[in-house]
Amino acid sequence: MKLILPPGVSHARFDQALAAFARVVGREWVLASDEDRETYLDLYSPGRDDSHAASAAVAPASVEQVQALLKIANEYRIPLWPISRGKNFGYGGAAPRLPGTVMLDMGRMNRILEVNDQLGYCILEPGVGFFDLWEHLKANKIALQLGIPGNGWGSVVGNALERGFSPAGDHSNNICGLEIVLPNGEVVRTGMGAMGDGKAWPLFKHGFGPSWDQMVVQGNLAIVTKLCLWMKPADEAAISIEIKLPKPSDLQWCVEALAPLRLQGAIEGLVRLTSFQASVTVPTLRSQWHQGTDSIPDDVIAQMMQRMNVGWWNGPLRLAGFSDVCEANLKRVLDRLAKFTKQEFPVTRMRGDAQPGPTTYPLQMVNWYGGRGGHIGYSPVMPADPKLVQEQFERTRRRYQQFGLDYSGTFYLDGRAATNVNLILYSKDDEDQKQRVRQLFQALIKDAREQGYGEYRTHLSYMDDVAASYDYNHNALLKLNERVKDALDPNGIIAPGRNGIWPKAYRAHRGVL
Amino acid sequence: MTRWLLALALALPVAGWADELTAQQSAGQKAFAHRCGMCHREGGTGTFVLARRLGAAQSLLEQRTDLKPEYIRYVVRWGLMNMPRLSRVEVPETDMTDLVAYLTRPRPAAAP
Ligand SMILES: Cc1cc2nc3c(=O)[nH]c(=O)nc-3n(C[C@H](O)[C@H](O)[C@H](O)COP(=O)(O)OP(=O)(O)OC[C@H]3O[C@@H](n4cnc5c(N)ncnc54)[C@H](O)[C@@H]3O)c2cc1C
Ligand code: HEC
Repeated sequence: MKLILPPGVSHARFDQALAAFARVVGREWVLASDEDRETYLDLYSPGRDDSHAASAAVAPASVEQVQALLKIANEYRIPLWPISRGKNFGYGGAAPRLPGTVMLDMGRMNRILEVNDQLGYCILEPGVGFFDLWEHLKANKIALQLGIPGNGWGSVVGNALERGFSPAGDHSNNICGLEIVLPNGEVVRTGMGAMGDGKAWPLFKHGFGPSWDQMVVQGNLAIVTKLCLWMKPADEAAISIEIKLPKPSDLQWCVEALAPLRLQGAIEGLVRLTSFQASVTVPTLRSQWHQGTDSIPDDVIAQMMQRMNVGWWNGPLRLAGFSDVCEANLKRVLDRLAKFTKQEFPVTRMRGDAQPGPTTYPLQMVNWYGGRGGHIGYSPVMPADPKLVQEQFERTRRRYQQFGLDYSGTFYLDGRAATNVNLILYSKDDEDQKQRVRQLFQALIKDAREQGYGEYRTHLSYMDDVAASYDYNHNALLKLNERVKDALDPNGIIAPGRNGIWPKAYRAHRGVL
Repeated sequence: MTRWLLALALALPVAGWADELTAQQSAGQKAFAHRCGMCHREGGTGTFVLARRLGAAQSLLEQRTDLKPEYIRYVVRWGLMNMPRLSRVEVPETDMTDLVAYLTRPRPAAAP
């Protein structure tokens, strides 16, 4: 990738800044060749690569180095975008919002500082991957559970800072204390860590006074150098209930059946209902089923469901905990389902610690169209109300059909809210299709806004649009975020444009792609 | 005693065929496990997609004898179809050299 300089920085100044970075981290860890820049592009980008191209990357090995880099970035006005492992596929990968930004690659800071099975937490540096933590748990026979995203290749810290989630729930809810470096280089520990040797840092979330952890999540006020994360002790038993519903309209009654049980606590994790498509895109190619450029028609869907042995909507539903409690809750769930359907739901009993580890297997779903592929996720949050969920699904599917794309949706119910993750798959080499993807995305943001639903997370290219849809009192919250941003980061060096939050130095770039 | 003999008998042919790795190749094997294994061993997405494109026999990189150093380097840094590009932070140059040595190591001739 050819060099795109940070806005307003001359080539000579840029080179001086890189030389100053190199004096901190060593020349080897300033990555500024065409080949280096290539490795930080968004692999799945639905638009042009240069919309989100980094000018370089720099990789610190310690908190002190992070402090020194921030000082230089302020002096030379170089924006820095932190990534932990940078595997944020579907949302921008390892790329920045603003072209010319330097990536602050935290991958070398990858120590597992503590795992405590008595009190159920770990303290991690940003570069620790799900695979690393998993192997550590197995090698040391530590009976703690880990919430693992479908793509297991990322970092535990980066994922939590994006509010990533799994059926275990929203991973950012488990953050309990951070060590952060502010734009001026000052190191702060949040919560109980604000005390010199605060013993309850990873144990009690808030400390004394306002709570800062969530100010950093999905934000751009600081660089996280340590993160304390709660982990749940392994369960005694687990029960998997196979949910396989034959019709698109079955979603409504299933939400009506299960959401109240989740709210009352009979089901502990998120209830996940996912369309047939997810089971088809991973192991097969589209051309095995359908040649047309239209959205996959119903008769082909029927064949897919039959051949892959899946329903239109699919579970499984997992109950886990003490075995007697699981058995009691199983009866509750099956009794409740029986009020709505005569269908049987096969049940499998497992040991509670038989949690599957991280995997990269689902990544090949982007191969759906055969060649170089990509996907973006469209994920609004809405009420876990049966009728509204059914309508949301139907409206979304009609939009996919309108733009000739294959519907793939999942609803995660937490009892009150439903997070509706929709995948839009495309071929990177089909410009016409990518154009339709972008149109679909804009239509979906608009539809959601009309319903009063907003996305929980989005791709770099849509951060401004989604931020704009949070529009109460003329986007008062965004304005507040930007006032805080300007106060803490007057030169706007940390992740300008992250989640639509632009510092004054770069505000003219809002909406510019 | 008999158990020991049996173990020896079982171990012998394996030892005879096993790759004897140099220090560098063995460092490369470690780097492979850490940086590539999650996609390129059993159950990984690289293995699956390569099986789809080249057939099962070519799908496990560690068993391949036809990989060229320049090709490995190029694929790792520039990606290939849906293989993501890996930066010098993820795979530092020293690891890359070791990896390449491991994946392109001379293999004993196949057993008749
Ligand atoms: C097939 C597939 C399935 C997926 N399934 C899931 C899923 O089930 N759940 C899910 O949540 N995601 C899923 N994803 C999306 C994504 O791959 C994961 O969320 C992944 O964990 C994110 O990458 P990462 O952990 O390397 O985070 P990073 O890319 O390192 O970080 C993400 C962002 O957080 C911020 N950040 C990171 N580190 C720091 C730091 N040290 N200080 C300050 N800010 C920081 C930055 O803005 C960064 O861009 C899936 C993707 C694919 C392709
Ligand atoms: C995130 C998953 C992933 C990781 C990690 C990964 N690869 Fe790959 N790799 C793939 C995929 C997928 C393909 C197949 C691409 C295709 O053919 O479409 C592939 C293909 C390749 C090929 C091409 C083989 C051929 O015959 O064409 C080579 C060589 C390769 N990988 C080397 C590596 C090395 C070395 C590493 C570690 C440094 C690595 N890969 C890490 C996913 C991965």
